[in-house]
Amino acid sequence: MKEFFIKLGDHPIYKKLLKEPLTYVAGAVLLSVFQIAHFTVFQKGWGVTSTFAVWGTWVYNVLGGDAGSWAYYASEKMQQELHTSFLADGGSIRNLGIIFGALAATLFASQFKIKKIKTLRQVVAAILGGLLMGYGARLANGCNIGALFTAIASFSLSGWVFGAFLLVGAFIGSKLLAKYFM
Amino acid sequence: MAEFTLDCLGEACPVPLMKTEKKMSELSVGDVLVVSIDHSCAMKNVPEWARKQGHNVEIEEVDDGEWEIVIEKAK
Repeated sequence: MKEFFIKLGDHPIYKKLLKEPLTYVAGAVLLSVFQIAHFTVFQKGWGVTSTFAVWGTWVYNVLGGDAGSWAYYASEKMQQELHTSFLADGGSIRNLGIIFGALAATLFASQFKIKKIKTLRQVVAAILGGLLMGYGARLANGCNIGALFTAIASFSLSGWVFGAFLLVGAFIGSKLLAKYFM
Repeated sequence: MAEFTLDCLGEACPVPLMKTEKKMSELSVGDVLVVSIDHSCAMKNVPEWARKQGHNVEIEEVDDGEWEIVIEKAK
């Protein structure tokens, strides 16, 4: 059995399909095809982070908060989001799909590894970075998927504006990275 | 013809690439740098950068999700 898997692991088709990374062009084409399919099926562009806000509010409400009165949830559509359940919410399922899909891909490639945390600095940077990303995504009404990728694909000027400032942020981020992690 | 190592285990993009670039600039022609990584996208961008610079590159998969990128400085 073990021999079979070692042989399979060396097979060129397995390597090509599951182990080696796709080219950037192949990735771009697949993303385009899937986002068109997403738009066709759900009549809605692909987004990721709005769902995180809804998750956060669910937790907040369970702990006794009342997010229903916030301006963010004023529209009828957003009110619905507050009262739907996890399994009935397309956005939640889609985000889970990304996580499970990524896990499946690393397992298929036999590249799964639990990484060690190297320094406390990494932990601090990860937490700060995550908070800033979440906060920024809400202010900008989307992340690099909803506000950049989907917006540009929908011929919206806002996507390009988001992209320009994304570059500014990446520039500042890389300077900080060079300062604190090199 | 000295051999150097660079431990980038547990480090995410773009840190492995930045560290490799810095280390490679300190090496002399003919020296070899072995970069240990466990971040799959560094497995793409580090060799890509090194090949573009004209160095000789080899990738070895040492364990599940762990690689050694061997770069020989060519110029």
